[in-house]
Amino acid sequence: MRTETTTERVLPWPMARPARASWSRGRRLVFAAFIVPAVSVLVLVTVLPLIYLVVTSFTPLDMTNPGSLRWAGLANYRQLAGDGRFWNSVWVQAKLSFWTVTLQMVIGFAIALLLNGRMRFLELVRATFIVPMVLPPVVVALIWKILFTPDVSILDWTLGVLGLPQPAWLADPSLALWAVIVADVWEWFPFVMLMLLSALQMLPSEPLEAARLDGASRWQALRCITLPLLKPAIVVTVLFRLIDSVKAFPHIFIMTGGGPGTATEVSNFYAYLQGFSYTYIGYSSAIIVVMLLATLLMSLGVLAAAGDELDVE
Amino acid sequence: MSNERGRRRWTVAATTLFILIVLCPVLFIVQMSVRSGLDAFRMPPVLVFRPTVANYVDLVESKFVRSLMNSTVTAVSTTILAMLLGVPAGYAFSRARFRAQRIASLWTLITRMAPPIAFGIPFFLIYKDLGLIDTRIGLVVIYLTFNLSLVIWMMRAFFDSVPRSLEEAAYIDGAGIATAFVKIALPLAAPGLATTAIFTFLLAWNDFFYSLLLTRSEAVTAPVAIVNFMNYESWEWGKVAAAATMIMLPVVALSVVVRKYIVRGLTAGALKG
Repeated sequence: MRTETTTERVLPWPMARPARASWSRGRRLVFAAFIVPAVSVLVLVTVLPLIYLVVTSFTPLDMTNPGSLRWAGLANYRQLAGDGRFWNSVWVQAKLSFWTVTLQMVIGFAIALLLNGRMRFLELVRATFIVPMVLPPVVVALIWKILFTPDVSILDWTLGVLGLPQPAWLADPSLALWAVIVADVWEWFPFVMLMLLSALQMLPSEPLEAARLDGASRWQALRCITLPLLKPAIVVTVLFRLIDSVKAFPHIFIMTGGGPGTATEVSNFYAYLQGFSYTYIGYSSAIIVVMLLATLLMSLGVLAAAGDELDVE
Repeated sequence: MSNERGRRRWTVAATTLFILIVLCPVLFIVQMSVRSGLDAFRMPPVLVFRPTVANYVDLVESKFVRSLMNSTVTAVSTTILAMLLGVPAGYAFSRARFRAQRIASLWTLITRMAPPIAFGIPFFLIYKDLGLIDTRIGLVVIYLTFNLSLVIWMMRAFFDSVPRSLEEAAYIDGAGIATAFVKIALPLAAPGLATTAIFTFLLAWNDFFYSLLLTRSEAVTAPVAIVNFMNYESWEWGKVAAAATMIMLPVVALSVVVRKYIVRGLTAGALKG
């Protein structure tokens, strides 16, 4: 934009300064006109519904009772505080998030290190690795549901051949959550790998070369140079996976239905049951509002812990 | 030297192992779709078999075709709508600075944190009043909750990489902003347009939750239809596998086209560039 000033001096520009100013103001108006439709629709489809959600969370709204959209203050939230099933769902969610994010980060980072800079078929490998995360989540859930079903699954058969126990994964309360974790890790470790691989490839090579000249071992170089340099990318990746892990739904819906018992019932799924199986929309809204706030706080916490070196806008 | 070669061999072995881990479950369900009945479950697995299209024939003759139609129509419509609204906005955000931009960007991050049910509940209540439950229009509109911001931020990044000098030359020649946008910026950003459109299509096509919540029978999309015949026709695995294969084929094909941008698409709005 600044270069225009010089153009102005060189060309015999017919317009005086005020006219130019009004032209650029007009230009701004046109750009604003480009934005208005999109932003209005965005407000209409995202801001208003979320406000409505907060409103319904303060009502005892029940779908079978149309008159129930009335103010009830904090009643839902008070009930929530004493709802053991809700706290159980928070705990299940915490376990699910912790293990999926940890395993995805470890596996994804290991493969990124492995592939960094020395693969002839990198493009091919990359193309393969995007498959799980672009698959419809329903298909991922179906694949793993079949793989974890005894008698029909090749996984089950392989375990048997190896002389290992063949548990009924999805029917066993202590294993069902692990089955969901395996499916989620399989689906998303490639995302971590791609994020970290592209970050690795953008790292400057000088610090590593200097360290090698100084006699640092591979492990020392990784721990003292690569990891600190990758920190922003790692934090962003953790953040993305953490946020998405709270949204897990199709896997649980299809693989376990929240069961056995409430072993895999995450808050999101519990809210779905409250709202659409038991018709208590108001209570369901309150669960979601709490979860949304918790996710927001957690993300801010991660960002604060990481400092301001991130390019998150 | 031999140490280096050993390491290399190890790398190739580990990479191959992970490729197998990634591909085998997918291939497992694909091969299941071309086997007949019980043959799919004979253990030890029969590696040589006569493939059959019976499962696909069954599907084509069932109501599943209708749900595939619904998926296609809603995904294409929402893509067109999101592009029409979002592309000009992405362009304006790239070429001019607005205070709204920072707010819109923060808001996008917040909406990304919301589980689908956060929008599902209010939309369900509103649609019930408006009679939009079980309609394709209802789905098209709710898909805008994630697709519109995706288009805005992906297109902004693409327009950022298109040099402005040509547009500025056009202004000097007396062209208006709209003309410069349509005649110069859009053609230069064509690859970006294609990538963004594919992304919005994929996200809508893959949706499960909104369709589960907001459709009953008329507008059911393919991912929910699969689950339905899982429940009512007592686990016809062959048919389930065939349906799963059918809905994942377009996804895999399209994602190969946009493979370089997958990460950008999945993080659009939250990360610069």
